[in-house]
Amino acid sequence: MKKHLLVSLTLAATGLLGGCVTSTVDEMVFNTPTLENMEDASVVILGRRHASDYETEPDFIKCVGDHVRRGNGSVEIIGELEFMNALYPWFEPRTAPLRPADIDRLLLQPPVADKLAELKTEYMIWIDGSTVQTNASGSMSCGVGPGGAGCFGFGTWGNDSDYEATIWDFTDKAEVGRVSTSTSGQSYMPAVVVPIPIIAPVKGTACDSLGDQLLQFLSSGY
Amino acid sequence: MSGSMTSDPRHATAPTAARWLVAASLLLLSACGAKQVVVQGKFPQPLMSRQPVTLGVFYPEEFRNHEFFDEAKGRNDSDWLVKTGEAQVAMWNTLLDGMFADVVFLEAAPDATTEIPDVDAILIPRVDELQYAIPTHTNIKVYEIWMRYAFDLNAPDGTAIAQWTMTAYGKTPTAFLQSDEAAVNLAAVVALRDAGAHFATLFPTVPDIADWLQSRNQTLAAGNTP
Repeated sequence: MKKHLLVSLTLAATGLLGGCVTSTVDEMVFNTPTLENMEDASVVILGRRHASDYETEPDFIKCVGDHVRRGNGSVEIIGELEFMNALYPWFEPRTAPLRPADIDRLLLQPPVADKLAELKTEYMIWIDGSTVQTNASGSMSCGVGPGGAGCFGFGTWGNDSDYEATIWDFTDKAEVGRVSTSTSGQSYMPAVVVPIPIIAPVKGTACDSLGDQLLQFLSSGY
Repeated sequence: MSGSMTSDPRHATAPTAARWLVAASLLLLSACGAKQVVVQGKFPQPLMSRQPVTLGVFYPEEFRNHEFFDEAKGRNDSDWLVKTGEAQVAMWNTLLDGMFADVVFLEAAPDATTEIPDVDAILIPRVDELQYAIPTHTNIKVYEIWMRYAFDLNAPDGTAIAQWTMTAYGKTPTAFLQSDEAAVNLAAVVALRDAGAHFATLFPTVPDIADWLQSRNQTLAAGNTP
């Protein structure tokens, strides 16, 4: 009976509080890709990591890459770490090009130019941003005793995601698009004996929003 | 065994739910012990044209076994022992191998009175300082490692060609279900990669080294042995 009550409470809370995420694609400005067939080219998605107080999460970059790959199987996405390792040390936070014009400087080095040609890199997408926690309130107490353990209380916190993707065309050495997304959501954690997390998928929604826009860009040329 | 815990969610992180769940069942049973990290990672070869130099490399004992110990500052803190020596050697071996035409690793310390044959110069790296920060220290949800290196580049007869210092920095954000030790290891690997990147791009621009390389290249172009 007690178990059924707990399950019912959980379902009710999930139903009431689930889906508390809002997502906004702020900008979607890009030129139509000139490349007619993406099958002969590859795309690399990289995170910006030169800021001192945050860094774009590697799992977010992977999420966006997977999203694009799932949406269009003909787009070859090179893994971030694979690309960084193949071109070490030229895409580390200290050395990564900050402007499309910096690509010319890199191509002056024959091994780098050869490797980029081998990888057939057509577009380089830089994602800059992070997910942070905003407001939080509530408290929870937990205890362990001879009869068992349990928690009681309520906690809630918000998360904000802000990411911007900048698309560079390797052939033209120019920026050809810029997309940004802002997502926010509120998560809840009621606890009656057992804490029940009701998590707002803020980062996942940001990943899907950004991934959809990039997919649209990469698929719009043909 | 019993106890209680009240947590303030103002300082909770993105994976707060998991943290609370785990904390609810386990935190009371945990104790603050010493934390040890033996840094381990894989390091890529640099993609660059090799300098036409046969480089001798000597890693001093304190470099090969480099470790950093930080004593706990309070009851809620832990002692930290971060061993970077093995990873340092792995990274520098891979880096130098990709930067220079030939690399000779020296077993014994170069002696000023004895000339080392068959090398053009001898590099001796040192880690002068290492600092780390974890979220419990700074309230910023990032793990950080900072290192300062000092290098001596000597001629085979022991005379100094160049001496310079260089910093390296690595950070990694908190991650879901990632332990402090795993995060510090990752930050150290990022710092070592940064050290490699900094060294590879800095080396030919250090003024004394640039002069030395230029004079070597002129000598080689003239058909003479440097």
